[in-house]
Amino acid sequence: MSSQIDYRLSRLAALRPAFGGSPRTMSSELPFGAAALAERLGASIESNQFGEHLRLRRWHDHPPSSAFDCGALGNGVMALLHPSAAPQCLDPSQWLFLDTETTGLCGGSGTYAFLIGLAWWEAGGLQVEQLFIRDYSEEHAALEALAARIAERPVLVTFNGRTFDWPLLETRYRMTRKIAAPQLASHIDLLHPARQIWRPKLGSVRLIELENQVLGQLPWQRGNDIPGMLIPQAYFQYLRSEAPSTIEALVQVFRHNEMDLRGLAALSSKIVELLAQPESIESDALELFGLSRLLRRRGSGSRARGIYERALGAGLPAEADRTARRELASLAKHDGDLTRATSLWTEILGGTRDGLDAYEQLAMYYEHYARQPRRAQDLARKAMETLQQAQTAGHIEPARYRRVHARLEHRLARLSRCDLRPASRRAARAPRTLLD
Amino acid sequence: MPGSLAVRPKETLQAVRDALDQLSARDRTGEVITRIEHIPARAAEWAPMPAWVLPELVAAYRAKGITQLYAHQAATAEGAHAGKNMVVVTPTASGKTLCYNLPVLNAVLENTDTRALYLFPTKALAQDQLAELYDLSQRLELSSEPSTDVATGAPTGPAKIQRAGQRFGVFTYDGDTPSDARRAIRERGHIVLTNPDMLHTGILPHHTKWTRLFENLRFIVVDELHTYRGVFGSHLANVLRRLRRIANFYGSDPVFICSSATIANPGELAARLLEKPVEVADRNGAPSAEKFFVFYNPPVVNRFLGIRRSYINETSRVADEFLRRGMQTLVFANSRLHTEVLLTYLQRAHPPAPGSKEPVRGYRGGYLPSERREIERGLRDGAIRGVVSTSALELGIDVGSLDAVVMAGYPGTIASTWQRAGRAGRRSGTSCAVLVASSAPLDQYIVRHPEYFLSRAPEHAYIQPDNLEILLNHLKCAAFELPISPDESFGLPGGSGEINLPQLCAHLEQAGYLHRSGGNWHWTQEAYPADTVSLRSVTSDNFIIIDQTASVEGGAEVIGEVDFSSALTTVHPKAIYLHQGQQYHVDRLDFDQRKAYVRPVAVDHYTDAIRYTQVRILETAAEDAAPGPALRSHGDVVVRSQVVGFKKIKFFTNENIGAGKLELPENEMHTTSYWITLERPLVASLPFTISERQSGMFGLLHALESMATLLLMCDRRDLGTAIGERPPAPSAPAVVPPEPEAPERASVELQVEVQAEGTSSPSPDAPQEFYEPNLYLYDAYPGGIGFSAPLHERHALLLARTSELIRSCPCEKGCPSCVGPAGDSSERAKEAALAILDKLSPQGSASERNWDSETGIGQTEIEQTERIPF
Repeated sequence: MSSQIDYRLSRLAALRPAFGGSPRTMSSELPFGAAALAERLGASIESNQFGEHLRLRRWHDHPPSSAFDCGALGNGVMALLHPSAAPQCLDPSQWLFLDTETTGLCGGSGTYAFLIGLAWWEAGGLQVEQLFIRDYSEEHAALEALAARIAERPVLVTFNGRTFDWPLLETRYRMTRKIAAPQLASHIDLLHPARQIWRPKLGSVRLIELENQVLGQLPWQRGNDIPGMLIPQAYFQYLRSEAPSTIEALVQVFRHNEMDLRGLAALSSKIVELLAQPESIESDALELFGLSRLLRRRGSGSRARGIYERALGAGLPAEADRTARRELASLAKHDGDLTRATSLWTEILGGTRDGLDAYEQLAMYYEHYARQPRRAQDLARKAMETLQQAQTAGHIEPARYRRVHARLEHRLARLSRCDLRPASRRAARAPRTLLD
Repeated sequence: MPGSLAVRPKETLQAVRDALDQLSARDRTGEVITRIEHIPARAAEWAPMPAWVLPELVAAYRAKGITQLYAHQAATAEGAHAGKNMVVVTPTASGKTLCYNLPVLNAVLENTDTRALYLFPTKALAQDQLAELYDLSQRLELSSEPSTDVATGAPTGPAKIQRAGQRFGVFTYDGDTPSDARRAIRERGHIVLTNPDMLHTGILPHHTKWTRLFENLRFIVVDELHTYRGVFGSHLANVLRRLRRIANFYGSDPVFICSSATIANPGELAARLLEKPVEVADRNGAPSAEKFFVFYNPPVVNRFLGIRRSYINETSRVADEFLRRGMQTLVFANSRLHTEVLLTYLQRAHPPAPGSKEPVRGYRGGYLPSERREIERGLRDGAIRGVVSTSALELGIDVGSLDAVVMAGYPGTIASTWQRAGRAGRRSGTSCAVLVASSAPLDQYIVRHPEYFLSRAPEHAYIQPDNLEILLNHLKCAAFELPISPDESFGLPGGSGEINLPQLCAHLEQAGYLHRSGGNWHWTQEAYPADTVSLRSVTSDNFIIIDQTASVEGGAEVIGEVDFSSALTTVHPKAIYLHQGQQYHVDRLDFDQRKAYVRPVAVDHYTDAIRYTQVRILETAAEDAAPGPALRSHGDVVVRSQVVGFKKIKFFTNENIGAGKLELPENEMHTTSYWITLERPLVASLPFTISERQSGMFGLLHALESMATLLLMCDRRDLGTAIGERPPAPSAPAVVPPEPEAPERASVELQVEVQAEGTSSPSPDAPQEFYEPNLYLYDAYPGGIGFSAPLHERHALLLARTSELIRSCPCEKGCPSCVGPAGDSSERAKEAALAILDKLSPQGSASERNWDSETGIGQTEIEQTERIPF
């Protein structure tokens, strides 16, 4: 009977082997490589009321905490970095950098954080602490240790942790039914400011790109770094296999995590530096452009204008140049500086997204402010013509075409009516604001 | 006439009589209308509103015109309120929603933390129930003090969520739910309406986001329980195992309230699905008016070939008789295509009055919700006079009741026939339901034996939650959701020698899916297991069908999907694949990528795959002597099949106009089977040639398959058939596992069958004598789905029904309605099949009537079940 069941089981698609290699036989103890791994890393075994886990601590003089030591972290910077920040955020010693390595990327209750990387500023440098579960049974102990760290430093700083690491850890805490998820004072996710600042320059703002492109010379090499997609497999192999090579793969994961933490800390210094003195920072055009966008987003329009001008002065690529001019024009218009705004619009007229917008803005300006309806009509007609050309050439997506077309049609219709009215009546009307 | 007011009771009786007279007048031979069954009116059976119902809820129902309950409503609500798992068995339009809404709403009003989860098989049904609950919540708002505000989520969106001071929130949660609304629903939904698929992929794997719901989960409603049979039911049973596991994790033990259409074994089905004791409330207290049930067989056009007039045209004609008399009529078709064809006919015959809308409308799954709401409303207020629908209107969507129902073709099961017929029947007046038979064997059996249909309990619904393929897939999902502890059972017996949880987990660990740590099994894969498990089939290994010519902005269009097992017979290279009435030629089958590339064509033929099927018995679970001499058995088998070629068959004449060879991979499946062994003396005593005997056996198997689907309440595709020689050592069951690398190709095992979809027949050029043949009816799913044991038990009943089917078929030498088309097999196939059946029958052909009692089983279930009221 039993061989019958085994035969039936052996035929099932659901049991098609999910990994190569032979599984280890002992199930109840720690994985084969656990002791060797601790020794190889020089990690210590920690214990608390929920059991044991592995802990690895290392102090690094790089990145240095100098950016914070000189008191750069003021209210002004924080308002740009994280608008709803708790008061503790201003004290960098309350910051806890966090980055986890997990058994999958899709979330859900079956994805574990097997390595919780933490770091904080200490003695002028960075203290890194990595909590590792040698097997799933150690998860509660590691979560308890993390809760203790967060109690000490309740400002969490991550890169994409708002959507990934922290919700995953919250799920892990809920799964314990014993340990409450720790309360954070604030959660600063650097992905968002990094995106604002460096997307124009880099396109992709993965941490590794930022390390390579904006953080300058770093004392660590990513050369033989383990690719992120292989990390879950490295842990699974370690759990199952008796091959010594699995430990080496995990050592790579520890190293990867440590580099991510150091990169994260260095990035925080870089961003704080940029935000502390945006006006005097020496930088290239695209980075200035990104910085000005961040300032504009955070409501510092007048400060942003200066940096937009600097970016334009430094020479931006065509597309970024147009966008920068359009955004700067809109800030100028908001400030009532219509001379600057109209000159910027005139410079970018054309069949691009920004160019068509400039047509509309200028038409609006001549219709309502300068009171030159003929000029406005000409511009609107020209805009319509340009729009048609852009559509024929396939330079504009259909939905945008329809929207712009409808707006222009509406404007043209109104202008043709408006034109027929006696000039005296037109003059009698109160001037309208530009913001209609 | 269209647009006129609804007719009054006396007039409806007259209208029904007139329509029936008109139909009978056309029936010169007396063969067309085979039965007019009169079903008398029945009065309501009332029960008072239970004393525990809160005054505001009583007031809300009073505002809807409900002051007392039907007997079944009271019984279910009382049971659920007392904490018992309930299943209420009700026909259509008998107020089943009140059965669960009453105890659930009462519990929420008593304690605002209470949560309930409602499961509906389709999104449309959930939307329908949302409307009902929304209406109730508004009435509750009116009846409560002005200071307390009641808010619910309207079907229109999350706007209402924001209202402060809400007392209860009702929301649907499915694939259409906007992501910004999801968080609010998780936190604040008192009643969450969803479907099993969403529960499986969207809720259970993310249960930590639903903490609030699971901690306070008091009720789970499973609506339309009867739809969860076969593969879908086996999956649901496992989803419910996972759901109970998660609920227990959060410390709750919810009460289940289920509703089912009338099937033979609602209590048994519910108990298997829930794996808990369930109380059945089946005393229907809803009233119904007088009704006629008419069985209509389209006239024969060609007696020799057994060809009848098109049942679609006949359906249109019958519906027209009702519509022209001002009767509100619902027409059911079994496919979308037929829905559209019938709609075209009827709209042409009944154009709208000037300035008004179409009086005849279509209704099917693809329509927009707003469109469907409009049609439902139009039916209720009488503006719409006729609707042509797919099975979409069979389930519990509220359209009120109509004057007439016409069914184009037998819906496949007795249960769903009654469900559809139940759409006709007002509280007062007379209504009429007509079943127009197609030429399919089941239809012909039913229409020629209306007494069978009328006297019979509806089918049993079977599930097999422990089908290994299904079970293991859900174990993976379960491990992802929560590590599996060795103390759990997951509904498995756990005795030695039986399949138990630790054993399965150990296998999953070996295969690398699970990892044991601290005694528990944890998920160790990056992939998300629920994503790869579809509840609607055994494996998600489907082939997609791509129309390369239909360019949607340059790309090819996916027109459909077929499951792995039928892919090789339906979308092999050069096959003609039929989809929504359009023919497609299969240009290429990419086996590895699971894709079939097709282009539309218009040809006068279809293709029929030639499949060699070989069944090997692994283990006989039961073997009993039967008259014949014969044996009836069931057990585990391995089915090997390979599509080796195809035939081109001309439409209408069924001529074989060509063939082709194919080289496709062999498919091996482990499943369960029921089989009949014709012992040597029986075979030797048949007065036919070898070839005729062969044809008789294949013809018999064709008819057996039809009747088995009737008994099992399953789809024809759920069963496979094959004939093979009985294994050499009859007394010792073959338990030696075959060696995979060297499959035995002994001649006795290579008995093959030429099997085609629908019309199977032996290959005429390869007559081969069977010494002691086994006739196999196997479950067409890996691992089996639970049909074999019931067939083995109902052996005698199956033979009796099959005998009736063949005997009463008016064709001379066999037709698709009985033993398969004549001309394709031996001239004497029908005769030979009947001769074999006579041998297999205990008293010869004379008595067929009382065999139910001789089976010794099923007697109580079948004979004593009272006839289903509408």
